Amino acid sequence: MLLLALPALLIPTMVLCYIFWQAVPVLNWGFLSGTADGVGFGVTEGIFSQLVGSLLLATMACLIAIPFALGTALYYRTFATPGQQRLMNAMFNMLQGIPPIVFGLCGLVVLVNLFAWGVSLLSGAVVLAVVVLPLLVLNTLVTLERIPNEYSEAGSALGLTKGAIILRLWLPRSWLQLLTGLLLAMARALSETAPIMFTATVFSGVVWPDSIFSPVTTLQTHIFYLAQEGNDPLLISIAWGSAAVLVLLVAFFGLLARLLQKLGGN
Amino acid sequence: MTIVLVLGFLLYSSWPLIQQQGIAFIIGDEWYPFESLYGMLPALVGTVWAVVLALLIALPCGVAAAIFCAELLPAHWRGSMRFSMELMAGVPSVVYGLLGMWVLLPLLESQLELLTGRTLLAAGLLLALMILPTIMVLSEDAIRAVRQSQREAAKNLGIGWDATLWRVLLPQAWPGIRVATLLATGRAMGETVAVMLVVGSIDRIPDPFYNFLQPAQTLTSRIGREMAEASIGSLHWAALLFCGLLLAAIAMGLSLLTQRKGAAA
Repeated sequence: MLLLALPALLIPTMVLCYIFWQAVPVLNWGFLSGTADGVGFGVTEGIFSQLVGSLLLATMACLIAIPFALGTALYYRTFATPGQQRLMNAMFNMLQGIPPIVFGLCGLVVLVNLFAWGVSLLSGAVVLAVVVLPLLVLNTLVTLERIPNEYSEAGSALGLTKGAIILRLWLPRSWLQLLTGLLLAMARALSETAPIMFTATVFSGVVWPDSIFSPVTTLQTHIFYLAQEGNDPLLISIAWGSAAVLVLLVAFFGLLARLLQKLGGN
Repeated sequence: MTIVLVLGFLLYSSWPLIQQQGIAFIIGDEWYPFESLYGMLPALVGTVWAVVLALLIALPCGVAAAIFCAELLPAHWRGSMRFSMELMAGVPSVVYGLLGMWVLLPLLESQLELLTGRTLLAAGLLLALMILPTIMVLSEDAIRAVRQSQREAAKNLGIGWDATLWRVLLPQAWPGIRVATLLATGRAMGETVAVMLVVGSIDRIPDPFYNFLQPAQTLTSRIGREMAEASIGSLHWAALLFCGLLLAAIAMGLSLLTQRKGAAA
């Protein structure tokens, strides 16, 4: 049995070590802050624009998803009947199960073409928002469920309205966990490639997007294109470097979430 | 709400195809967009193969590792093990794709003396790597959720560790492991980018069908490959959307199954 378990125990470490080992030659400050200025098809070192694009997309996606997630979760807790609750639960679990590329497909048709937003930051952000929505909702629900019923009951007994209960009792008690969920959603949004491949990104040539209707470059797609097209060892090492940066970013948000969770006391 | 929208939309958009060719194209075995042949079977078979291979590799490894972590590893190691697993679960799929393309493919080519490493096997291996954390973390939870008193009772009865494992721990943890497997299946099926880079994207049912050393195509990789080429409103486009619909439908079926099993557990 140990023989079977061994690969599972060792491979994660090996994978991470390998990525960083490959990335070390190119990782330096110039790599992070340099911009590929359009010449030479991204061969020039520097992934600053990709970094900006990834972060912008993920942040916007979360900003778009937050109101919907909060609204849905609050509706679930305050107004929904048990039947509706079951239905919503099933829905969100299903939504979570649908492959992200399906959302990308729909985004391409509806947002990019039908709404004529074009391949843009906005389209990508909306698609990503749909991808992270179930995660945020389920997390918010778990958080709200942790609040003891006595709190809400005491609130009602004191004559507080539902709005006041939410604002004065639920929010102060749960904002830390909500933030944790948000960070996890950020990490998720950062690591998705398929949904934004057709909806938000171009290969190179953009440093700062001019508006929400202009395309961006992202780390994820950068890695993808380099891996696919590159024959030049330099390109591949850039891909490894980008991969390492991306892994670090995702891990950073994950770790931050973990830290907050500890602070929150669970 | 979103779900109905998405599904309805996919169905609506792929309707021209269904209308023109009847529903039978699902089991057609040829996909040549330029000749208006849109058989779904090659990609379906490819998807199933890739997922099955991944599960065959990841399930024994993952569960064994979970048993090891839950039962044998000292507690202070357990935390770091779990942490590394969570870290690994967080690695973006495109990074796995890079890894697969530049590490796994050359390795397969040189070791198995294949013409190209882009095979179903490569996709299966890569997917196995990606679903390993899911399986392991959830199975570990399931095993640890078995009450301590059960283990002690087994010990008191003089049952050896092996027998305890097979007769006491695993049967009780089984519902949890089953849910983990279903979730992992869904994840493996929907994975796009990594698979796209290693699977070869050739629309052909492996010949003979159990030959997993041949390039193939999965539903996701087909969408990823051809989306940029298909013009909007064309039949090809509708066919790709239908692939999406199929994926979504299978995923939802899996998710329903997971919930039912999860509720039963």
